[in-house]
Amino acid sequence: MNRRPLTVGIIANPASGRDVRRLTANAGLFSSTDKVSVIQRLLAAFGATGIEQVLMPTDMTGIAAAVLKNSQGRQARASHWPALEFLDITLRQSVEDTRKAARLMAERGVSLIAVLGGDGTHKAVAAEIGDIPLLTLSTGTNNAFPELREATSAGLAGGLFVSGRIPAEIALRRNKRLLVRVPSRGLCEWALVDVAVSSLPFVGARAISRAADLAQVFVTFAEPQAIGLSALCGLWFPVSRQAPGGAWMRLDPQSPEALLVPLAPGLLQGCGVLAAGSLEPGVAHSLALASGTLALDGEREIEFNVDDRPSVTLDNHGPLSIDVNAALAYAAQQRLLAIGREHPQHPLNLLSRDNPGE
Amino acid sequence: MSTHLSADQLLHAYKVMRTIRAFEERLHVEFATGEIPGFVHLYAGEEASAAGVMAHLGDADCIASNHRGHGHCIAKGVDVYGMMAEIYGKKTGVCQGKGGSMHIADFEKGMLGANGIVGAGAPLVVGAALAAKLKGTDSVAVVFFGDGGSNEGAVFEAMNMASVWNLPCLFIAENNGYAEATASNWSVACDHIADRAAGFGMPGVTVDGFDFFAVHEAAGAAVERARAGEGPSLIEVKLTRYYGHFEGDAQTYRAPDEVKHFREHNDCLMQFRERTTRAGLVAAGQLDQIDEDVESLIENAVRKAKSDPKPSAADLLTDVYVSYP
Repeated sequence: MNRRPLTVGIIANPASGRDVRRLTANAGLFSSTDKVSVIQRLLAAFGATGIEQVLMPTDMTGIAAAVLKNSQGRQARASHWPALEFLDITLRQSVEDTRKAARLMAERGVSLIAVLGGDGTHKAVAAEIGDIPLLTLSTGTNNAFPELREATSAGLAGGLFVSGRIPAEIALRRNKRLLVRVPSRGLCEWALVDVAVSSLPFVGARAISRAADLAQVFVTFAEPQAIGLSALCGLWFPVSRQAPGGAWMRLDPQSPEALLVPLAPGLLQGCGVLAAGSLEPGVAHSLALASGTLALDGEREIEFNVDDRPSVTLDNHGPLSIDVNAALAYAAQQRLLAIGREHPQHPLNLLSRDNPGE
Repeated sequence: MSTHLSADQLLHAYKVMRTIRAFEERLHVEFATGEIPGFVHLYAGEEASAAGVMAHLGDADCIASNHRGHGHCIAKGVDVYGMMAEIYGKKTGVCQGKGGSMHIADFEKGMLGANGIVGAGAPLVVGAALAAKLKGTDSVAVVFFGDGGSNEGAVFEAMNMASVWNLPCLFIAENNGYAEATASNWSVACDHIADRAAGFGMPGVTVDGFDFFAVHEAAGAAVERARAGEGPSLIEVKLTRYYGHFEGDAQTYRAPDEVKHFREHNDCLMQFRERTTRAGLVAAGQLDQIDEDVESLIENAVRKAKSDPKPSAADLLTDVYVSYP
């Protein structure tokens, strides 16, 4: 009988975690070497939970190359890494590489895509893959959508779900999204966390490092412990991931009311607040500025002028993602990771192999 | 740090980039005639990097360049005709025709020189930055090197010393993907050159080198840091060169449509024109006028350079050492 091998994808954004916020704030660096380690932790967890094949894109920064090299090593053999297949794509060293990899993985019918990146990377993948669940890992600068989490345990949750041992209603959650429409240019872009309206005329170095550059923020959710643009709502008008709606805020440096906000790691800015409110699903909102830039999930991406009239709409058709806490709580309750003495990775068996005389 | 630039600043940036492009494309044509001595390495495609960094510098700030130096010279304000004459090996050149393409220098403009030795500019700007610090000026010093240069020991030593002494110094790694014919993704061990900054205790960032505004913003933050006494930074500018490593390079190591793709989708001049006019900050007519002015500037420079005299035998023994007052 031909059973399809259990296959998942891993997409690591080579460019995440290295933007201008290393100069304008105290953001840390997420090096290629670190990303390789995160992927290898995932591979160990996937191997342990029965994933047979992993698809990965190639890249120009040595991530795929290092994983390939290490896949020949002792650790990879000992932890039963899945078979690796590298996707053949023409690299443009832009977000288009991420999108192309996500589309190819969807065509290949992967059961899950693990994403290493920031909010922006997750958004780029999510828009291409329909209802294939995401396993989200933060390797960005200040992220709200992917949680900061150890890849090994996240990989266990993802692997147990893909191998059918955790039901979807426990392992998966549906996320909200914001749709940014610019009809004059036929654009409809996604954001998973926030859309910010800035008076800065150009995309430039992408990050927004000054509160004075902000006029308006829309969020799908905003947690008080967040950092970045969603922290504005998080500390003034919080809304949970689970709530059906989102929130918005109007900002103006001249406003009598102001809020101190962590806009980036180590960067606290006073921000004038004009008003805030709930964002109902399905309602299109126009922008407070006639021209400027739109930052989607923290990075300026769209320059607009008076003729463009972009709109922002929240809905509940964002991507599915693995709820790692819920999945692992179920795994514990069901003892999904309990192993028998005959299992090669059982500590007693390892001991007897090391000491054959006993 | 912000991208709020005045119309004059925007027009100047465009003029710088257009001048570099026209200069290089003309050299591409002229070099093929065999009239130009030595080698030329063209900067076309990389203009946003030089223009974006140099927008923050004045004559008191020093830069050191590399073998691909024409763009840095033009953006730093070196006379275009003097450069052209220099490349033609004429006595009217900025170095009296004795340096050529790879040795153009103009101390009055703070241009310490193009450099034929890979990575050799880095120690020079550490010296210039040390001088600025000891004299108590707020000048900064900037070195431009490539992905090949980023692998050189001299660059590492310079970064270490700049960090140890907390010098007002910028290391700009223009990563165009190839050190001559060797791909940087093969030859640069940590792949992201910006990652190397961490090893020297300084911030490192990567920016899109096709986008003037991205370079301008990152360089602005780094220059501001340096002038405030907060020490050196490394900026990796990712870009591509439109021509070979040198003129005559058959470029068999590149994918056939690689340059075409970047020219059509990412070209810095195209993007700049599209975005500034779209934002209503400058008029297309103003940019067209710059295009025209630059054409005649380059035409005149080439015409004059061709007819200028060469240095004489007697010039051989002058300008060998700097004469100190």
